[in-house]
Amino acid sequence: MNKTADVTREHAVEIRFGQVGLVQVRLHTTDTGSILDELTGRTATAPHFFERTAVCLDLSALAKPPGVDEIRAVIDVVRRAGMLSVGLAQGGASVESLALELDLPVFSHIRATSKPVPVVQAAPAPEPALPALMQHQPVRSGQRVYARNRDLIVTTNVAAGAEVMADGCVHIYGPLRGRVMAGAHGDTEARVFCQAFNAELVSIAGVFRVFETIPPELAGVPVQAWLAGDDLRFARIGEQYPN
Amino acid sequence: MTEIIVVTSGKGGVGKTTTSASLACGLARRGKKVAVIDFDIGLRNLDLIMGCERRVVYDFVNVIQAECTLRQALIKDKRLETLFVLAASQTRDKDALSAEGVRRVFDELTAEGFDFIVCDSPAGIEKGAHLAMYFADRAVVVVNPEVSSVRDSDRILGLLSSKTLRAEQGNGQVKEHLLLTRYSPKRVATGEMMSVGDVKEILGLDVVGVVPESPDVLAASNAGVPVIFNDDSDVSRAYEDAVARLLGETVPLRFIEEPKKGFLARMFGG
Repeated sequence: MNKTADVTREHAVEIRFGQVGLVQVRLHTTDTGSILDELTGRTATAPHFFERTAVCLDLSALAKPPGVDEIRAVIDVVRRAGMLSVGLAQGGASVESLALELDLPVFSHIRATSKPVPVVQAAPAPEPALPALMQHQPVRSGQRVYARNRDLIVTTNVAAGAEVMADGCVHIYGPLRGRVMAGAHGDTEARVFCQAFNAELVSIAGVFRVFETIPPELAGVPVQAWLAGDDLRFARIGEQYPN
Repeated sequence: MTEIIVVTSGKGGVGKTTTSASLACGLARRGKKVAVIDFDIGLRNLDLIMGCERRVVYDFVNVIQAECTLRQALIKDKRLETLFVLAASQTRDKDALSAEGVRRVFDELTAEGFDFIVCDSPAGIEKGAHLAMYFADRAVVVVNPEVSSVRDSDRILGLLSSKTLRAEQGNGQVKEHLLLTRYSPKRVATGEMMSVGDVKEILGLDVVGVVPESPDVLAASNAGVPVIFNDDSDVSRAYEDAVARLLGETVPLRFIEEPKKGFLARMFGG
């Protein structure tokens, strides 16, 4: 009975992942006076560009870990300069605890540290990888399939307008006409394999390529995609042996 | 055992209502007891195609809101003994439908011994379309051989596999059938139109019927006589075939190739 009553209820929220540009402010001091002077000087050159823009504070260049009140004061002057602090750049345990007290998020993918803060902390043990998620139903336009912390194997087709994602590799044994994302949590070793390539978009660890037209040498043939540095590469399976 | 068949497509104007009417009539002609229901609240058309628009007193919304009994609202077809139409309301909007109400109507039709309930879905993927497919056992997805219609049908197939009672209860899949309408072998040959094979391959479904493009459809709509009754028309034969396949018969596909002109016709430009 409940089931039917719920039928027409809309979702209250929709969670979507996307990438946004973020201004980073690296602090060399916590002296609010000099920060305000410099920031207002900078923003005056392009006032609209910086107006209410979201900034991420990078504390890695400070000589010693700052206190909560110091950072509160910095956030205040950043606001007075017209910008809004939305989080802290990753920087070890001291930043984590600061972020907790300030109730701000820590942005982990900002590679800003010129002098990395030595972190005496074991690398987090990788979560045990799960067996691959099997998808036997066609992934239709508008549908999404996400394999968290594992590979995804699709035994049928991925239609135009559909999205398949995995934290690991994605294997598609039918025609691929939609979007595919491998290494969704930043695994640059992840790859995409498909039986008949006609993808709209391929992304690995956030590096993506949109296919407005499919290159003739890839269209409809088995293809794999992988990351070489920051370069997303494609090759017909079996013809080359990329590494 | 009552089977609920939804006729749906996502995109508008592809021939859902024409198909609903002809399939319902075809099933009834084979002696099945059939109710055909218009889910397009506010834009009712099925009664026009069925030629019973002047006999609508009570409609689907009246039944759902318990303003009349189901028997009062079912319009008995004048041509076929076992065919009944439940018209949509022209004056309400789609919010007048409720899952609970629809279920009650279906339960009552089941108790009355109907063999088939054919649900004519509105276009789109909103409430009316959702409720039309929600209780379905089978779906006939009507698609025109062109990219936007195929894309929308793919979207609908996705919803059929996730947003139906069967999917939610894990009670097996809704059985999906593909029905192509407005098919023109001539335009397929010139590459202007997608072929049956193309559509089948993209949607990954078997075809229950291919209905050729024909002026007979418009003529039938205007006359209020479902096109399946026009025995001279290829459209009628195509729908008869589709009905046979829905009932489990094996019938080869027709009307998917351009008719070969005979020698004399070629000579004299016939």
